[in-house]
Order: sequence, then structure tokens, then C-alpha cells
Amino acid sequence: MNYGDEILMAYVDGELDAKPRAEIDAAVGNDPALARRIEHQRALRDKVAGAFAKVLSEPVPDRLASAARGAPAAESAASRGNVLQFPARAARAPAAPWRAREWAAMAASLLLGVLISWRMLVPGDGAPFVAGKDALVAHGELARALDTQLASEQRGEEPVLIGLTFKARDGNYCRSFVLRATKTTGLACRAGPDWQVPVTDTSVIPPGEMQQASSVVAPAILRAIEARGVGVALDADAEKSAQLSGWKAGSP
Amino acid sequence: MTHTSEEISERIVELLPRLRRFARSLSRNQHDADDLVQAGVERAWRHLGQFKPGANLASWMFGIMKNAWIDNLRTRRRRGEVALPEDSGEHPAVSPVDTSTEMWSVSEAMSKLPEEQRLAIALVLVEGLSYKEAAELLEIPMGTLTSRLARGRTALAAALGGNGNPS
Repeated sequence: MNYGDEILMAYVDGELDAKPRAEIDAAVGNDPALARRIEHQRALRDKVAGAFAKVLSEPVPDRLASAARGAPAAESAASRGNVLQFPARAARAPAAPWRAREWAAMAASLLLGVLISWRMLVPGDGAPFVAGKDALVAHGELARALDTQLASEQRGEEPVLIGLTFKARDGNYCRSFVLRATKTTGLACRAGPDWQVPVTDTSVIPPGEMQQASSVVAPAILRAIEARGVGVALDADAEKSAQLSGWKAGSP
Repeated sequence: MTHTSEEISERIVELLPRLRRFARSLSRNQHDADDLVQAGVERAWRHLGQFKPGANLASWMFGIMKNAWIDNLRTRRRRGEVALPEDSGEHPAVSPVDTSTEMWSVSEAMSKLPEEQRLAIALVLVEGLSYKEAAELLEIPMGTLTSRLARGRTALAAALGGNGNPS
């Protein structure tokens, strides 16, 4: 019996009646091609469902919890200042004052900075960071990538992958990055002619998945971004013109 | 506040993780997705009188979010903010927020589907609704739902590589 795709989809969705279901169950044993097609459908279903599964365990933003409790919209809008917002949004809520979370993130990044300083500060030109006056400063290949590389033009094979570029509250540009060799993600913010690196993280990149690594942003780095009161992530055009301007600080 | 609305409030809070997951499967931008959840929840409170006691609150909320999502898309299209699904102008150059590469690639593939197929896939594959529930919620006949699911799946399989094989 030749089964159409829709029947097999209904089969893996558990939507078939007992009789056709039993027929397929019986046919699978003698029909490797049919078994393969069912396996493909099941794999696709699992992949799509699995991709979003972790949203369930993410912390729910406060603004949603208060909206769910029936809080007036104005109140929940006020709590939006501490989340990242992206282009195509006209009104922006004023930045919220730092809360314990942000302070914790800063403390964590200082700690990470200390850890980095002995783990990665190998002397010589190959080091991605050197100790600056009051923070780690990008060096060598990392500094060059931060200066010149555009996320929109990456092939995905570069030793340094640039993720998100945005303008911090103080007007300086910040860029998230991934160091391929050490599987380190980090945030670099422009300080004069340098890129200071307030935070890095090595915990999130799964082995063998560097392909999409520039889309990976560790929670510690997200918190550092939030702490900088980011308004708008740059799109490809804005990223390019910021690069052409030499990453000069502008109005926040 | 009556006892009932307190109860509903608690139940909506409990549903938030699922509402967020549903929204994330519709919009690859996390903050657009959370805006959608917020819009849906606020709408639900305004129309609480229309919720029939004993009905499935999750389905009701998904339906409200579906309407909010479609209204939102229409408004933005009218304003010319969303030209094509591929339009990257409103998105960061690289997704900054998804911490999962798997989510990123599936979101990408989902974002290229026609809206009606994306909704069907989100309700059935991501949220695990039955065909009957999804068809009622989308206000379409079962046959229409299954053909949207089939076309959406075929496109996803092609976009994700292999015949739905995990690569």
C-alpha cells in the first residue's frame, strides 16, 4: 500500500483512527522505505517541537507576569526599560535603574575578567586580550575583527565571529563576539581607541556547533548588555555605517 | 476582584511559559514575541467576559494571541514595516538573543513560511494541539488545516536539510 505524506504526518501526530493506524503499524515491519519516511516525519516533528522547548524553562519577564495578573498596561510598560529592544519600535521606555540582577551581572563579569586574566592572557601577539587601565582590552585578531568585521558579511568561518552590535547608553558602540579557538563569547565596548572587554563566557557553545555560534549569546553577556541600557540593535546598514565612522561615540 | 478572576489570573500566569513558547515559534525576534504575549494577555483581560467557564483557557488564549499576531502583522504591513518574510531590516544583523542554535535554525525556517502555515505548525507541532483544536482555533476546516500542515512541513524539511532528518 502506498501511503501519502499527509497520512504519515497524521500518523506521527497521533491523529489516525485505530484501524489505519494498525495497518501502518503492521506495514512498517516489511517496508523499510515506509519506515524511513515515518522516521523522517517523526524527526522533523521532534526537531521543531524540541527547538522551542527550552522557552518553557526561561524566566518569565516581570512585565508579562504583571500583565497576566491584570495589571494596567501603563504599569507593565514601565518595566520594559530593562529589556533589549530592537528596531521598528517607535517609543522606547526610559531606562530603569539598575537592580540587583544588573549589579550581580557586573560582579560576575568582574570575576570572569579575573579568571580570564590568568587563563587567556598568554603573552605575545596571539593573546585576544591585554590588561588595560581599568579593564581588559581587545588585542590582535580580536581587536581587528571588532574594528572591521561586519556580522552581515560573515561567512561563518572567521576565527572571530561578531554577533550583535548596539549603541550603549553612554553613546559608545558595543559588539558581542565569539572566539572560535577558545569557544569564548564576550562583549566588547568602545572606549576611546580601544575595545574594552567587560565580560566573557565560555559556558554556552556546544561542541561542534560553531556554525551558528555568533547567534549564541550567553546569559552573562545578555545581562551585561542589558546593564548598558541598550536601546536598539543595529541592523546590517547601521552596522556598516558605524564601522565606516570608526565606531565614534555618538549621542546615546 | 472576584474569586473567579483571581483564579483566572493564576491560571494565565501558569500559562505564560507556553504562551511565550507559542509566540517564539511565530516570531523569531524574542522581544516581538514577548510583546505579542503581553498584547494577548492584555486583550484577554479586556475580553474576559467572553471566556466561557469550563472552556479550555489555553486554547482561548492561543486564539487571542493568534488574532493579536495577525492584527499586528497587518498593521505593520500597512505601514510598510514588514515587506517580506525574508526582510532583515527589522531584525538585528545576527540574532542576538536566542541562546540555542537549534532554535535559531528552526526559527529561521519557520519565518520563511507563509503565515497560515506557520500558525498551523506552531499550534500542532510546537504546542501539541490536536487537529480538531487547531482547526477550531484557526476557524478553518480540518482538510485545510492538514494541507497547511503538510505544505509547511515539506518546506521546513527542505529548509532544515534532509527529508526532515536531523542533520
